[in-house]
Amino acid sequence: MIDDLYFIEKYAYGESIVHRLDARIKLLIALAAIVAIVALPYSTKVYELGAVLFALFALLWAASRLPPTVYLRRLALILPFGIFLVGFQAFVKNPYYDVFHTIATLPFGIEVYAESVEFASILLVKFVVSISFIILLSSTTKMQDMIEAAGRLGLPREFTLTLGMMVRYIFVFAEMFGRIRTAMETRCFDPLDRTLPYRYRLHQVGYTVGTIFIRSYEQGERTYTSMLCRGHGANAGLYIRRKPLRHGEIAFFAATIGFIVLSTIVVYLQP
Amino acid sequence: MHLLETRDLTHIYRGNVHALSGVNFVAERKSRIAVIGPNGAGKSTLFKHFNGILKPTSGEVLIRGEPITKENLREVRKFVGIVFQNPDDQIFSPTVEQDIAFGPTNLGLDEETVAHRVEEALHLLGLEELRGRVPHHLSGGEKKRVAIAGILAMEPQVLVLDEPTAGLDPLGVADLVAFVNRLPDEYGMTVIFSTHHLDLVAEMADYIYVMDHGRIVASGTVEEVFDRPELLARTRLDVPPIPKLIRSLQENGVAIDTAYTYERAKKAFLDAYTRRE
Repeated sequence: MIDDLYFIEKYAYGESIVHRLDARIKLLIALAAIVAIVALPYSTKVYELGAVLFALFALLWAASRLPPTVYLRRLALILPFGIFLVGFQAFVKNPYYDVFHTIATLPFGIEVYAESVEFASILLVKFVVSISFIILLSSTTKMQDMIEAAGRLGLPREFTLTLGMMVRYIFVFAEMFGRIRTAMETRCFDPLDRTLPYRYRLHQVGYTVGTIFIRSYEQGERTYTSMLCRGHGANAGLYIRRKPLRHGEIAFFAATIGFIVLSTIVVYLQP
Repeated sequence: MHLLETRDLTHIYRGNVHALSGVNFVAERKSRIAVIGPNGAGKSTLFKHFNGILKPTSGEVLIRGEPITKENLREVRKFVGIVFQNPDDQIFSPTVEQDIAFGPTNLGLDEETVAHRVEEALHLLGLEELRGRVPHHLSGGEKKRVAIAGILAMEPQVLVLDEPTAGLDPLGVADLVAFVNRLPDEYGMTVIFSTHHLDLVAEMADYIYVMDHGRIVASGTVEEVFDRPELLARTRLDVPPIPKLIRSLQENGVAIDTAYTYERAKKAFLDAYTRRE
């Protein structure tokens, strides 16, 4: 499982017009789409805006030339969290309706209401649209670019430096863990090996966790010392090169933001 | 039947990284084998195939003539012990003694046998004084010895050492060389190691494999490999100082015998001087 960490960014290294787009623009468009779908007041109009925004997402995904299976796999990974909340809504009343019509009765007096199902499906639309834009962003933008984009957009350097180091050290620790695991395998240890006493296995796993703790602490100390040696202080931060936006990117950004805002207003104002 | 053999071993890491291509490697009983090559040549990847940590993308690894399978994996790991470069990856028990006992315990040996093997390993590496010590209070050299003891306690027939001299002080290196050289004769073990300390190769090995870009580009006895300076230069390696110096002297007309180890070189120089008088 930990090996998959190295491939989490595999798709972000692709080549397409969407991949090449400045990360700031992708970040802001994703944010705008999420704000639009979340801010639209509760009504069945959410379906319409949802369809419009999902079409925009589908267009951008097609332009990224990533296979649809990548999107579906990632969606399937996140969906359970939302599905639980959404599914639960079908069985309870909510403050948006006064009258509830029962469409099904289950044992133990549990009832499914037509209005609750509607509430749940509107929630699902909001959820899927938001998640889709996040998946688009993360599948076409490298982590490092995302941090730089946030820095260029004015995220304080305390955050960008910390985030940058976090990304770097996730990989360092994944590697450390991998090596420890290999060393244990070499000496025939398998935590699931039933021929070894349960307590013994538990102890060894505990020692491993402890070792990783000590080593990460020591690594932190070493890194901090070397940072101080290179003049780290209160004014330090992540080096972010200035990167002006190209005309095409600005035009694309203005058009897409305009489209999102306009379609939200049109959907909201229509009778 | 060879003790350990790879046939056309190829390994491709995920992301299409070709780490090994068509490697044919053979190790016999009681042999001392050095694997040399630049960083990223595939030495560690090759070693990880010897005990089934990595599985070949194609080709095969034969241990005593048999391929590694799920059923014999435990036997294979008992037979081939690998000491990794960084001892910190290997030592995680609270004390030195417990760490050395880790392997034998996993093999399902009874308490008495485990205790006996721990004593043997502690004694063999001169670690008796440190048995109760906490690993993170050990020096680099001590950690290395604990790591080796942890593997030897499993009584392998083949000992694989990945960069055993990295980070050791000169005396530590000398001790290690002397210790490793005892293993084939006294215990009938085969030692396979990788190193960038080329001057040690002649002291520690009878046979050399040279690796570059995931391939074995040359192999042979110490004499055969160190007689090809152009090959070593091409693979970012170099001829060690002793044979290099002797070769220069020979090229300048000095009558001196070729030698690769310190002792042999000393004798060659003394002989050459004696002849002059």
